[in-house]
Formats: sequence, C-alpha cells, structure tokens
Amino acid sequence: MRKFILVLVLITSYRFAPGQGLYSPGQPSDDGRFAASTKQVNQFFRRFNAEESKDGSTRFNPGDREYRDRELRKGFINILFDNETTSVPKSLKEDFTQTVISTGNPQFLDFHNGEWFAEVNTVFMIKGKRENVTLFMKLQEEGLGFEWVIDNIAADFFKLYFDKDTGNDKQFLHPLSHELGFMNLRKALQDNKKPESYTPKEFSPDYLSIFLYEIKKGNIRFETVSDVKFHFFQISDWYFELSQFNRPGFNTGWLISNLVKLNEGDKDVILNYIYDQN
Amino acid sequence: MKKYIPLFLMLFIAASSVAIAQTDNISPQRKQAIDSLALEKVKDLSKYISIIGSKQTQFSEANRVMDRAEELFAPEAEMGVSSLSSKEIAYYKVRRYFERLMALNYDQVNISWYDIHYISDLERQPDGRYVGVITVYQRFEGTSRESGLNYKDTTKKDITIYVEKKQTQVAGRTIDFWDVMLGDIRVTETSA
Repeated sequence: MRKFILVLVLITSYRFAPGQGLYSPGQPSDDGRFAASTKQVNQFFRRFNAEESKDGSTRFNPGDREYRDRELRKGFINILFDNETTSVPKSLKEDFTQTVISTGNPQFLDFHNGEWFAEVNTVFMIKGKRENVTLFMKLQEEGLGFEWVIDNIAADFFKLYFDKDTGNDKQFLHPLSHELGFMNLRKALQDNKKPESYTPKEFSPDYLSIFLYEIKKGNIRFETVSDVKFHFFQISDWYFELSQFNRPGFNTGWLISNLVKLNEGDKDVILNYIYDQN
Repeated sequence: MKKYIPLFLMLFIAASSVAIAQTDNISPQRKQAIDSLALEKVKDLSKYISIIGSKQTQFSEANRVMDRAEELFAPEAEMGVSSLSSKEIAYYKVRRYFERLMALNYDQVNISWYDIHYISDLERQPDGRYVGVITVYQRFEGTSRESGLNYKDTTKKDITIYVEKKQTQVAGRTIDFWDVMLGDIRVTETSA
C-alpha cells in the first residue's frame, strides 16, 4: 500500500508542476498530500471504481483501457480506508477488497443506484436553545435529474415527547370506556404528560412530519451543519461508513471509517442503530 | 468576457462534434471543454480574491473587483466557512465574505493558490441544469507589524459550478452553447 501511495505522490508531484490552470510562479506547491487526499465524495466513487488516473487528473470512461482496471482498483481501495483511527481488522479489509475486485463478479459503486444515504448532523434553535438534529438524506430522481431529500430525522428532544411507560405504570383507557361514550378521554388527554400512553403497540412517531410542522410554525430554526457522513449498503453483504478526515498526512479526505460483513438480518440491525442514534 | 470566447468556441466545436440526438447529454469531450471554462472562472475568482485581500489594493479598486467577482456567481450564492477548531459552518453572502476579507486587520496579506485542483463529474439536477464541484486549495498569510502577529492558514475551497445550455444568435442561426456560473462555496480550514 505504501508503494501505491508513493507512486501516487510521485506522479502527482510531476503532473501538478507549475503551469496548470489556476497557477502562477511563486505559488505554493503541493507536496503530494492534497493529491493523495480523497478530496470529494465523487473522488471516492471514482477511486473505488478505478475510473480516474492515480493523480485524479484524467477521468477514465467506458472504452478506455484503464477504465475499472483491476490492479488500479486494488491499489485505490487500499488507500480508501482510514488507517489511523479506525480499527477495522486487516483481514476484514482484505476480504472486502477481494470481494469487490473479484474477477468473476466485481462490484462497483453507482452514484444513482440507491442503497447509500447521508447522515447530516445539524444544529437548530428551539425555544432559544441550541439542539442537535440528525437528518438522513437520500438521492431521488426528480424532473430531469436528481435531488437530495430529507428521508428521516432523529432528535433527542423529540424522543422525550414519546416516552411511553410499560407495565403497571402505563396509563390506559379501560375496555368498557365505549359504554360511557369515551368520557374518560378528558383525563387521558387534558393536562396529561403522557398522551402517547393511549396509542397502539405498533405506534411509531413520524418525527419528520413533526419537524416540518415545527419549522413551518416558526418554532424551530435552522442554524448550521456540524458534520456529515455516509452509509453504504451497495456492496452485497457488506456495509461501510464514509467519513471525512481533516488531519495532517496522506491518509485524509473521504475514507471508509467502519466496515461490517453482513449476515442475514444484520442490515436491519445496523439501520435501526443508525436511525435511532443509540 | 473576451477571454472566454476561445473557450466558448471550444464548446461550440465540442457540441457540433457529437450526434444531434445527444442534445442534452454531456459527452466526455464536451465535459473536458466545460471543465476548462469552469476552471477559467475559478481562476478569475482566485485572482479577484487575491486582489481584494491585498493591502496594496485601493478601496475603490477593491470594490470594483468585488463587483467583477460577484458577476461570476449565480444569485443567492453563499460561502460556508468552518475552521479546525469548529466544524460548524458559518454562512456569508459572497459580497459579505469579500468585504470581510478586505477588512482583515493585517498590514500585509498574501493569498496564493496551491498547484492542484480536482473537478467532479457533472450531475443533472431536476431543472435540467448540470452541477459540479471544483476543489482548490488556498494559502493565506497575514502579518501585523504592530503586534508582530503572523497568521497562516490553508483552506480547501469546494466551489459549486452550474452548467447550463443556452442559445445565441450568430449570423441569423441559433447556436447552442454551455455556460458556467459559480454557486455556493464551502471553505474548510485544513491541517496543512
């Protein structure tokens, strides 16, 4: 892997010699770190699929000899892991790499093919207080192209409102309430801190609708984005997380920060974990 | 504007070299021509930022350059800035960002650009326009003689580009061409 990075750095140092585009004499020159960095999510896709040259200056298209070249992919995928802070076992990385570059059934990432989404950590002002809200965004086809849409949200301050008791603590409407014309609804819903007690077992609050309602009512106000990462399920039987690493060195930019080989049922477990932010 | 004419011509040529049926698709050849035009605009922006930030630039000249720089952008474009100490994004209108840059309290400011860039693929958005991102790296050095402070940082700038097919009349004929505008810019301080 070091050899691959070294080759990449040498090529980029040569290719990005003065004279290109933006640049003028006396400009600072990249020592290879910016070239090595996976600078955009787009570049992560291209490197993962081997759809660009090592220095990133040439886009390979179908029909080009180097397009999705197996050896190039192998080199690229090795440098697409966070190798400084993430403790993904080496054997798991190798297993994953062999799966995606297999000669019989290579697997590629496709920007438009779904099975990947963004987790966007944001800050909102709610009643004068800064609160964290996580937005889960997905790409959808719309009109003549594509757009990112908010698919789901998670926010602790919403969860607090839907804390249904269980067992003897749970309030209920007794089974003959109908004979009294449900007059006991007054006790259930007026000045009661736990109206969610009177919902079915399968009830699950639609936080996104509440969130939109509160924005429209002016009760919550967007402040800023604090972090972004991505979750990928596109590779059969594998899940990986993509995060941005802004640090010194050559192993930076958008890198795989978590990798899991999926057994039956694991995908739902991971999705529940991500959405619930447990 | 005159300097863009050769690039527009390149785009005409690229446009005419592909099949008529591909009216709204962008071939790899056309993409390269669009990349060149977009990079020219980014190059102009980088030049304008260096001029606006320079302490040698007169106030009136800086304002004129800010006007020119603003013309590169689509309406409502914003700069989103974060630092190493805070990943949260601070938002500025493009003009406000330039004004803040001009007002920085240093005796000497030097803004330069690393010899590297990265250009994304173009993706089509619902209204039919294409969108891409160009990444460049900027080096900032500010020196204050009085306090002896010397501040340096390197920022990554991810610049949105909008690519739109337009039409113009040349000698009575309607000719399609692709125009590029800059959009929102994400500015991230790096550890370099």
